[in-house]
Amino acid sequence: MPVIEVSELRKTYLRGFWRIRTVALHGISLAVGAGEVFGFLGPNGAGKTTTIKILMGLVFASSGVARVLGAPAGHREAKQRLGYLPENPYFYDYLTVRELLDMVGRLHGQSSAERRRHAGELIERVGLGSAANRPLRSFSKGMLQRAGLAQALMGRPDLVVLDEPMSGLDPLGRKEVRDLIFELRAAGTTVFFSTHILSDATMLCDRVGIIVGGRLRGIGPLGELLNPAIQSVEVVWSAAEDERVRLREHAGAHERTSEGEVFRTPDPALAQAFVREVVTAGGEVLQLHRHRQSLEELFVSEAERGGGTT
Amino acid sequence: MMRRIWAVALNTFREALRNRVLMVLLLFAVGLMAFSLVLGELSLHEEVRVIKDIGLAGISAVGILIALFLGVNLLSKELDRKTVYFVIPKPLHRWEFLLGKYAGIAGTLAILVVTMAVILGLFVIGQGGRPGLAMVRAEMLILLELWLLTAVALLFSAFSSPYLSAMFTGSLWVIGRNTLELRTFADKFEGTPLSALLRAVTWIVPDFHLFYVSGASVTVHESFVSWVYIVQASAYAVAYSVACLVIAMLLFARRDFT
Repeated sequence: MPVIEVSELRKTYLRGFWRIRTVALHGISLAVGAGEVFGFLGPNGAGKTTTIKILMGLVFASSGVARVLGAPAGHREAKQRLGYLPENPYFYDYLTVRELLDMVGRLHGQSSAERRRHAGELIERVGLGSAANRPLRSFSKGMLQRAGLAQALMGRPDLVVLDEPMSGLDPLGRKEVRDLIFELRAAGTTVFFSTHILSDATMLCDRVGIIVGGRLRGIGPLGELLNPAIQSVEVVWSAAEDERVRLREHAGAHERTSEGEVFRTPDPALAQAFVREVVTAGGEVLQLHRHRQSLEELFVSEAERGGGTT
Repeated sequence: MMRRIWAVALNTFREALRNRVLMVLLLFAVGLMAFSLVLGELSLHEEVRVIKDIGLAGISAVGILIALFLGVNLLSKELDRKTVYFVIPKPLHRWEFLLGKYAGIAGTLAILVVTMAVILGLFVIGQGGRPGLAMVRAEMLILLELWLLTAVALLFSAFSSPYLSAMFTGSLWVIGRNTLELRTFADKFEGTPLSALLRAVTWIVPDFHLFYVSGASVTVHESFVSWVYIVQASAYAVAYSVACLVIAMLLFARRDFT
């Protein structure tokens, strides 16, 4: 049974005094299996957060089905087994992180001893040990994000939903979140997260879904979504001055960079012929890149196809 | 279920206790009681009565300000600070959240009223008086009024901004405190549409006059209001509060948190 199951999900907001209709979701369908790390990608205003809010019971769908852990989205039974980190998390800032986790533990029905033990473990795990008794209002954005991750894990969830978990984190913080997601995957926890940072999705996700303008443009393993064909070949080379002038006349695009002379062509055969010529001329091939479609290019092309912005 | 409601109530209680405005208002009430000692000295052997009068009026006024302040901000603060995005996805029903919030405020008000009542009692004893059960009954009525006012404020805050909620709740409190006068007016214009309108208003608007406390009554008529009256007033406050909470829960249950 899928952990998340969404079918023909639509959401229309009625805004302002005149109840102007804004369609946020145009009937999206997706399923996320147990133990998967699923990346939900899309430009701003694509419908990522609306989808997540429906799954979390914060917003009601206009039509369609959304089920989480076998129960309708928003049901207490589903919420008992999930952890959620909102985008730019806000908590009760007069609480300390220990009090926050205690409250979450209570809501999950944990005993006093269990709350204390688990909160202590999580505080250490997210690196907030030295700030455990400080009110959250004194926390930096990165520290709040860590507190948010700790509270999302407090109920020992089977599913963790993270809305832009890397937002506001420095490179070290991002690495820690990535490591945490790897740990969760290793423990068999399903992770559903939205992100703008495509390198994180490339590194972490078993599958991704790309949403643009409220429509799901693509869903599947990255290897299947990305075009495996070589898009272009790039050769970084050097040679004596007179040979350089001659070699630059070879068919293809030429550029001079700090790394050396760069030759670029979409035709691999042409690139091979060029490499032979460089070697024959007594030059040196410094680097050779075969360029395949990246997630970023796929994302941009899908966003452009859907009329979205990136 | 009770554990989840308790978790929210405890958090709301913690928030209220850490609120400086509340502490300032509490100090103001104590200051008012202290000032009543000075006024008492100016009266002709009526020191105890003046202290009771002003003390109970102070508890009531400060309590109403606090109930209004906490009640109208109860949900709007959650929305403004976006803490609702954190708490609603937790394993609790939306109505449990609302009930927990109300219970937390009700508990805070109870502690504040008891604290102020104890301080007032000490002032009365200090002046050679005796607080007595009549005063306890008067303080119970004040607390009932505050709980009812909070429920009304919570109802408005479930669908409107804190300013509108404060305006609506404040207006209802003013009208509710004057139901006796409205009934008198209705009698005066008997047989006219105005009379029917006024009677309808007195039926719909919460009857805050039921909980009206006067120090003079406490002192002069030691019988004041009977325990039966307290039970009846409690039943009214509970019934009206439950109605407000149920409507608030229904409104809150289908609300989108965008």
